[in-house]
Parts: sequence; structure tokens; C-alpha cells
Amino acid sequence: MPLKTAAQYEESLRGLNLKVYLLGERVSNPVDHPIIRPSMNSVKMTYALAEDPQYEDLMTAKSHLTGNKVNRFCHLHRNTDDLVKKVKMQRLLGQKTGACFQRCVGMDAINAVDSVTFEMDQKLGTGYYERFRKFLLMMQEQDLTVDGAMTDTKGDRGLPPCKQQDPDMYVRVVEKKSDGIVVRGAKAHQTGALNSHWILVMPTITMTKDDADYAVCFAAPADAEGIYYIYGRQSCDTRKLEKSEIDVGNAGFGGHEALMVFEDVFVPWENVFMCGEYDFSGALVERFAGYHRQSYGGCKVGVGDVLIGAAALAADYNGAARASHIKDKLIEMIHLNETLYACGIACSAEGHETASGTYLINLLLANVCKQNVTRFPYEIARLAEDIAGGLMVTMASEKDLRHPEIGKTVEKYFRGVSAVPTEHRMRILRLIENITLGTAAVGYRTESMHGAGSPQAQRIMISRQGNLDRKKGLAKALAGIK
Amino acid sequence: MKTMGIKFCGGCNPLIERSEVANELKSILPEGFTFDSDDPSRRWDIGILICGCPTACADRPEHRSLAAAWILVSGPMVDRHSVSVENIARSIVDKLEAMAQTE
Repeated sequence: MPLKTAAQYEESLRGLNLKVYLLGERVSNPVDHPIIRPSMNSVKMTYALAEDPQYEDLMTAKSHLTGNKVNRFCHLHRNTDDLVKKVKMQRLLGQKTGACFQRCVGMDAINAVDSVTFEMDQKLGTGYYERFRKFLLMMQEQDLTVDGAMTDTKGDRGLPPCKQQDPDMYVRVVEKKSDGIVVRGAKAHQTGALNSHWILVMPTITMTKDDADYAVCFAAPADAEGIYYIYGRQSCDTRKLEKSEIDVGNAGFGGHEALMVFEDVFVPWENVFMCGEYDFSGALVERFAGYHRQSYGGCKVGVGDVLIGAAALAADYNGAARASHIKDKLIEMIHLNETLYACGIACSAEGHETASGTYLINLLLANVCKQNVTRFPYEIARLAEDIAGGLMVTMASEKDLRHPEIGKTVEKYFRGVSAVPTEHRMRILRLIENITLGTAAVGYRTESMHGAGSPQAQRIMISRQGNLDRKKGLAKALAGIK
Repeated sequence: MKTMGIKFCGGCNPLIERSEVANELKSILPEGFTFDSDDPSRRWDIGILICGCPTACADRPEHRSLAAAWILVSGPMVDRHSVSVENIARSIVDKLEAMAQTE
């Protein structure tokens, strides 16, 4: 069964025994919790679209392991066409959900772990690659959602893992046994953690010899003994508890992050893909980050498409669509959004094969892509708020609109152009609010800034890969400097 | 004697000096191999594809058809394995010698 249906995916989550805390309480049924469920719907969309012939060219791929059709989220990129299709798929899903659909981190993790374990085995004679291939085969055959878990909590940023006052600030190996390892620590900001079947843990920085215990990569079931989750709050999240469809902006979809805690979790050797080989931790971080920086050239663009459409509708509903400055602002939003996309496509088209046969993006262009993502969505959001007007944040609630006495007042005074119902105007303004400063702003704004690495991380990579000496040489040649 | 040829990428933004790699390779070419430039219509036994960066945009079927076997240089990599820039030519020679031994 290489492809799960959307319904089978939801049902499979119900079979997990996740230990989840949200707003100070243990959640017994995350799938149906009103705050969590929209994020599950976003991941579910990755299964639903794969079933639809209209989208299967982007959403599915042929497994190089089995020849079976698999969800692209479980696929290793075999050529640059795969890399390009990945970005297009992510744009599509951003358009369909208007939110973070979470499944990319696992896809980016398997592609990074594949090539690094291959190269590690070649150099060190270890046996990680075959173990990883078995894990990948299971992931493909069961169409699993895997959470790629990289970001440690890090404690004092000025100190390496081994020098931290509390040694658990980075996930580490606390015991090696004949049949496996025991790990402790926590991963922060874990996107889609509660909607995942398995976790693929990677180190978060380049480790040194002294940090060898922290150079660990492994897979574990999301509900393994000792793992628990503390759900991250989002702006306006409790609106989801009010049973209002309008006020949440996007009632169907969302994203989520959680703190993922490993309290002495046992991992059998068959699921360990790095254990102390600190020399390869940097390559794993660099490649995962590179793939994830590419991802943002697709997913943020798809959400941007929704936001641009919402801003254009707001202009229509406000009766301002014909104003030249509104048209120009929409053009600017499109220009910025397509520039993000252009970098996502470019770093994919300029990708190359690694020794394992898996394709890697052009790292310089992927970092340029993400650097733009740290800026452009903010400008697109600013322009959307400009076009939407202040009502976006001062408007009455859905309950007021439905109220038997004041409802007529809300209907009367919040109307824009006469041909459009007030409710439609309220809905589109709430959608803009949701993406620019509500629950989805976590994904569209702050995640654009810090997800896949904060801006300075990209600038370091751009500096490393920018080939500045050659540029000097070009200038010298033209200036006649010998 | 194995015939060899070199094919370069277009060189838009190279991370290595491609001509230096080619010149060094010619200077340390082991016995039993020769660069064949007399008859471009003849298929080489071994082709050296020297691309300036990992993208290796010149690695295309029409180029691959020019030789029976290829060694790919793509920026600081030989056959997709990282190599220090100063050791690229040496790494190619190692591969040529390994090819000779396996025959």
C-alpha cells in the first residue's frame, strides 16, 4: 500500500499514543482537538491531493527502491526535475491550505540523511546507509509522515553543547548498549510533530570531538516511550475554541509547532544513522538546511498567492480596486512573491547529483532564496494590511454579526460595496488577519524569518559559497591589473 | 593505448580554474593513456568532463556519447566526491590507474 488515502492517514494518527500537553492540560485526542485539528487537515491535504489525478504529477513520484508510486514527501530526488517538482508541489499545497502543511521537514531530512550516511559509510566503513534505506523503504511503503527534528533548545548560544551548564540543551546519547542507544534532550519548534508517525532526529550544529555524544541521528516512532510534546501557543489560537468560523480566518487549515522532549528514549541500533561521527554533522546540517531553504521558495509562495488574492478581494469589497496605487501594490506583491519562487526554481534547476545518487540543490541559490524569504513575506504582509484597511483589526466578531439585535448594525456599518455581503468582507479581512498576525502568521512571518535557519545563517553560507575571489579576478582582468 | 578527450562546460561561474586542471592532468598523465585530438569523430575510450561547479550543466547525453567512459569534474569534486582543488588532477590520474588495473 504505497499510498495512504486521506482518511487512512487520519485514522492512522488515531492509532498513535502520543503524550501531548496543551494549555497546561494533557490532550487525550489530538486529532479532534479544535486547536490542533486544522494543522492535521493541512497534512491530510498532502494525502488527498496525491489521490487526485489532477495533482498526481506533482504529488507523487516513482520510488527508485521499489518502482512503486509513492507520495513525493517520501521520495528521494533522483534528478533536477524532482527538485523542481518539489517546489511546485509546495506552492500548490500552500495555495490549498493557506498554512504550513508540515510534511516538508521529513522529506528534507530523508534527502539529507541519505547522501550523508552514504558518504559516511564510504569514508568510515560504517553501516548506516543500509539501515537508513530500510527505514526509507518502510516510510515509502507505509506512506508515513516523518518529522525531521533538527533544532535543539541550545541554552547559552555562546557555548558549545559540551560546555552548557545543563548538558541536555542539545539532544545527546546518554548510554550506549549492545542493542541500541539511550537519548535525552529536546527539540524545539517541531513543525507538525503531532501529525507525524515517526521522528527523524539530526544534530543542529557542526559538532566537534568534544561534542561527539551530541553528533547523533536516529529515527523513532512519534509515540515511543519517553517522548512527549508541549504544544506551542499561536497568536489568536483560542479563537478556535469559540466555534466561530469567520473569526479564525481559515477554519479548515493551520500549522503547529511543539517542544519535543526525549526523556531517556531507547533507540535500537537499526534506527541509528549517526552516533559520534562528528565530522559528518556539519554536512548533515548544511544539506538539510539547504533543502529546507529551497522548500520556502515553494510553500511561502503558495501562501503568498492566497494572501495576494485576499488583498485583491479586500480591495474589490472596499470599492478601491480601481485606484492606481492599489493596483501598483498588488503588482509589487506579485513581483515579490514570484521572485521568491524564481529562487526556489533556480536552486532546484541548478541542483546536482551526490555520491549516493540523490540530488542536492545549488546551496548558494537556496540560501539566497531563504534570505529573500526572511524579508519579502513581511513586505507582502505589510502591503496586504495597507490594502485591507484598519477594519481588519477593529472589526466586530461573528457572534456580533449573528446577534439578533446588533447583527443588523454590524451588517449595515461593516458593508463595503453594496453588491458584496458584509459577511464576505468580514471573511476575507479575517483571512488576511489570520495570515499576517493570527495563527498562520507563525508560518508566514516568523517562520519565514527563523525557520530553516535565521537570516545570519544564510549570510554565512552566501559568504562561503559566493566565490568572491573569482569576482575580484574578473574585475582585475577588465581593469588591466596584472 | 587508451585514447582520451577533454570536454569543458561553458564556464559561466566556475569554482575552479578548468584549464589549470586540464594542463596539470596532461603533465602527469600516466603511461598507457593519450589525448586524442586528431580525429574528433572517433569515440574516445575515456572522456574527462571538466565543469566549473557542482551543477555540471555540461553533463548531458550528447557529451556522454563522445566517450565510452567518463570521469566527471564538477567544481571541487571528482565523480561527485569532494576533492581539494589542488588534488583534482591527481585524483583523475588515480581513477585512470584504477581503470587500467581492472582491465
